[in-house]
Amino acid sequence: MIAEVGHLALCFALALSLILALFPLYGSYKGAAGPVLLARPAAVLLFLLTAVSFAALCYAFWINDFTVAYVANNSNSMLPWYYRLTAVWGSHEGSMLLWVLMLSGWTAAVALLSNSLPLILQGRILGVLGFVNVGFYAFVLLMSNPYERTLPFFPVDGRDLNPLLQDFGMIIHPPLLYMGYVGFAVSFAFAIAALLGGRFDANWARWARPWTLAAWLFLTLGIMLGSWWAYNELGWGGWWFWDPVENASLMPWLVGTALIHSLAVTEKRGTFKSWTVLLAIAAFSLSLLGAFLVRSGVLVSVHAFATDPSRGLFLLAFLLVVVGGSLLLYGLRMHAVRSQARYQLFSREVLLWGNNVFLLTATLVVFLGTLYPLFHKELGLGSISIGEPFFNSIFQYLAIPFALLLGLAPWVRWKQQQWQPLLKPLGLWLVGALVLAVGVLSMYQSPAANLALLGLLLGAWVTMATIGEIQQKAAQLGGVPGLFKLQASHWGMVLGHLGFAMLVVGIAMTKTFSVEKDVRMKIGDSVELNGYTFMLSEVYALNGPNYGGQAAELEVFQHGEKVTHLHAEKRFYPVTRAVMTEAAVHARLSRDLYVALGEELSGPSWALRVYVKPYVRWIWLGAILMALGGLVSLSDKRYRRKAVKADTGAQAHA
Amino acid sequence: MNPRRKQRLLAVSGILVLLSGGVGAMLYALNENVDLFYTPSQLIDGLGEEKKKPVVGQRLRIGGMVVKGSVRRDEHSLKVSFDLVDTGPIVTVHYDGILPDLFREGQGIVAQGTLLDATNIQATEVLAKHDENYMPPEVAEAVKGIKHVAPKQTYPAGTP
Amino acid sequence: MRKAMFYVPLAAFLALSLFLLSGLFSDPRDHGSALIEKSLPAFSLPDLQQPTRLVTAADLKGEVTLLNVWGLWCPTCNAELGFLTELRQQGVRIVGLYYVQPVDASFGDTFDINKLRLDVQDKLAEQGDPYLLNIVDEKRSLIFDLGVTGAPETFLIDRNGVIRHHHVGDINPQNWPKIQQLYQQLQQGGSDAP
Repeated sequence: MIAEVGHLALCFALALSLILALFPLYGSYKGAAGPVLLARPAAVLLFLLTAVSFAALCYAFWINDFTVAYVANNSNSMLPWYYRLTAVWGSHEGSMLLWVLMLSGWTAAVALLSNSLPLILQGRILGVLGFVNVGFYAFVLLMSNPYERTLPFFPVDGRDLNPLLQDFGMIIHPPLLYMGYVGFAVSFAFAIAALLGGRFDANWARWARPWTLAAWLFLTLGIMLGSWWAYNELGWGGWWFWDPVENASLMPWLVGTALIHSLAVTEKRGTFKSWTVLLAIAAFSLSLLGAFLVRSGVLVSVHAFATDPSRGLFLLAFLLVVVGGSLLLYGLRMHAVRSQARYQLFSREVLLWGNNVFLLTATLVVFLGTLYPLFHKELGLGSISIGEPFFNSIFQYLAIPFALLLGLAPWVRWKQQQWQPLLKPLGLWLVGALVLAVGVLSMYQSPAANLALLGLLLGAWVTMATIGEIQQKAAQLGGVPGLFKLQASHWGMVLGHLGFAMLVVGIAMTKTFSVEKDVRMKIGDSVELNGYTFMLSEVYALNGPNYGGQAAELEVFQHGEKVTHLHAEKRFYPVTRAVMTEAAVHARLSRDLYVALGEELSGPSWALRVYVKPYVRWIWLGAILMALGGLVSLSDKRYRRKAVKADTGAQAHA
Repeated sequence: MNPRRKQRLLAVSGILVLLSGGVGAMLYALNENVDLFYTPSQLIDGLGEEKKKPVVGQRLRIGGMVVKGSVRRDEHSLKVSFDLVDTGPIVTVHYDGILPDLFREGQGIVAQGTLLDATNIQATEVLAKHDENYMPPEVAEAVKGIKHVAPKQTYPAGTP
Repeated sequence: MRKAMFYVPLAAFLALSLFLLSGLFSDPRDHGSALIEKSLPAFSLPDLQQPTRLVTAADLKGEVTLLNVWGLWCPTCNAELGFLTELRQQGVRIVGLYYVQPVDASFGDTFDINKLRLDVQDKLAEQGDPYLLNIVDEKRSLIFDLGVTGAPETFLIDRNGVIRHHHVGDINPQNWPKIQQLYQQLQQGGSDAP
């Protein structure tokens, strides 16, 4: 019964999204306020209906209603309650429901928070969002209905949730990730609304910016959690695998990062307009492409949902309409928009343009690496896979100029900048960075380890240049108290850049100094790794609620003193016939100790994988810092200021 | 207008040079990192129309079934070797490390590594293919109405 | 010229869509299969209904046959039973090759052919029985020799016991016509050379 309520609510939501797609656009076209004003309550109601529908599915999981096929396929009565709830988005249908919940949530938020926008623009934005909504609601209802019943014969128990997904990281990873993906729909709607109206003034960029920042911030956290999850659950000690699904989330992130910077230029200088619009379209298109790649089975990946050509076909058709349509509109409208602002070769505009070029090159690298196997196969050249070194080496080279520019850009003025005044302070900071990098590195054995040196140098450079810039600002504004006058978005930038520095250092240090050993151990054996002694003290049988298996206890010593106790598990999930490795991790800011239990060998002895991973936490902490930067930027007062009555001077020059 | 044009020309040609260089380097790197997929018989007989055989030292991926009884472990380390087969020829994979959770004799696996000689491969990574259960979507849909135990013939919960 | 530049993204996107479209219709798992045009490997395995009776390759000769690899554990195979039963009613000869999953003590598995026979009988009574007989491959030796990598898979075998087609995945009304063409050719052609 409850499931039918959920289904019905979803059907109403589809009808409502149709209204949302048509009325406000019509109102904007005719210049009538009524249909546009109607959009606001419609958007809120859409969200409420979807929330009801989502709650109904949660309820079905909660009470173990195995007459619902989706519940039967993804849950089990033995599953703890918190995993029963996260199983709601554990597979295709439910995750699509989560997707539309977030999409309608963003739509409702736009409807509620955009009072200050001109009515015509509101209508266009909500109309475009309504259109995107229609596509996804139709997809859920026609292609992936989570409420299908199994009657009259229903299973007594469910097939259980994929054990890989039975983890805390998985509880929050997909919601955050989808918030990011779907959030770019708002930036997209702003871009299309602007294309429809032909207006690209500073106000437009200022309105679009916080939404883009919010989406980017969610995506950052989502990707970071995904990486953390893979590290804990896959048992390989890796934090990034260049898996197609990971790549599908990285592409919109890279473009989204470029978009944030490009929007800044459009807001402050009224230029880069066509570029910004293209990036806004691209960010959302890549989110859609990611959904297509993950859900159509075009690429085989560890994460891929069940393959389905009809679903893929639907998504591809949707992609064609949305992306093809918007790019066509872009071609038709954008060439008429010209920027008036002038700038010199050495100016912040050009440096930010450089930021965009490198981010887009990175996107292209990921894109090619992900889709090349598909091209290769479709051209009849055989099945291939792209090795990790491809991504790693190119990203390494891209990071150098990117980080150098990143440290420099905040120092450089808009429009034009003279070289000479910057040489002295920046030279000092550069030397400082060099000293710091070599200093840190000499604490380790080899000051010449290339990658680590590079990473530390770049990280130190970005950090010092960022701090130096704040110091310079303090000097200009009359001492430290003056810093309070700085806009929140400036602090956001500082945090974001520091987060990036931390990420770079973390990656370089982990890549260089991680040590790994696969060992065969008996009870009482010990192994030495990087000064740590791991002693296997006990292995015993496990008895979990929905799994069995083995657990190993290890003691870790350093210089004869006990550091910690580690508990690693290998679980067997009988219902899904899966084996899972639960790694034992002892985390500190400067290093992780990581042990994964492998198979039992004759003896009895066990295969164990032991790692010492320096600075691996910095990768995730850096990402969190970046997201925090986004949050601080969002709090900037100017995004909440009522719009200045549209000044005709900023009208686009059509 | 003229200096602006000049500046533009400079910028555009700069971009073009960078872009073509970048794309070239990228494609080169891409080709360097392509790992072709072979089955044991393709490894022996060659791949595709031209019967292209891999050369010794080449990085590749190989997928096949682990021959029953062919898994040989070293007594004191994690060194292991096993034979792979698809429909005829047998190749041997050598590996030093922990085999994946779902590695079993008679199961399909994929190994990534380099070719030692005509029939031997040193693997750097061994992956188990975990679904031997093709589930085309139409079927997954159809299954929803079928694959259920009628209430009378149930097993107690938790029975493996 | 400047105007054309703004259509470049659209063109790039359309080109990409073409690849994505063709990618949708090709199986990412399809690495090409050998063994086609070769004789069925020799085997001697028990019949599920009468475990004392051993089936050999010779039993499959004489008529064009579909050898269908399946198992109760495989939902796709179970979904396929209905359509295969229809085919049997149309006169197609189908022999089942029962894929016994590896007995894995870590999951507490055991193998009992009598229990299996009862389970299979129940299932076939419920879903339809397309099989002339079912070969039980407990050790997966024939499955192994055939190069089966999963279930369901189906082999089309001609009168001389030569494998003519290897189909991976289920047989359904959409993909049957293609196999049917070959099937009818083999039936009419008698015992001609490939």
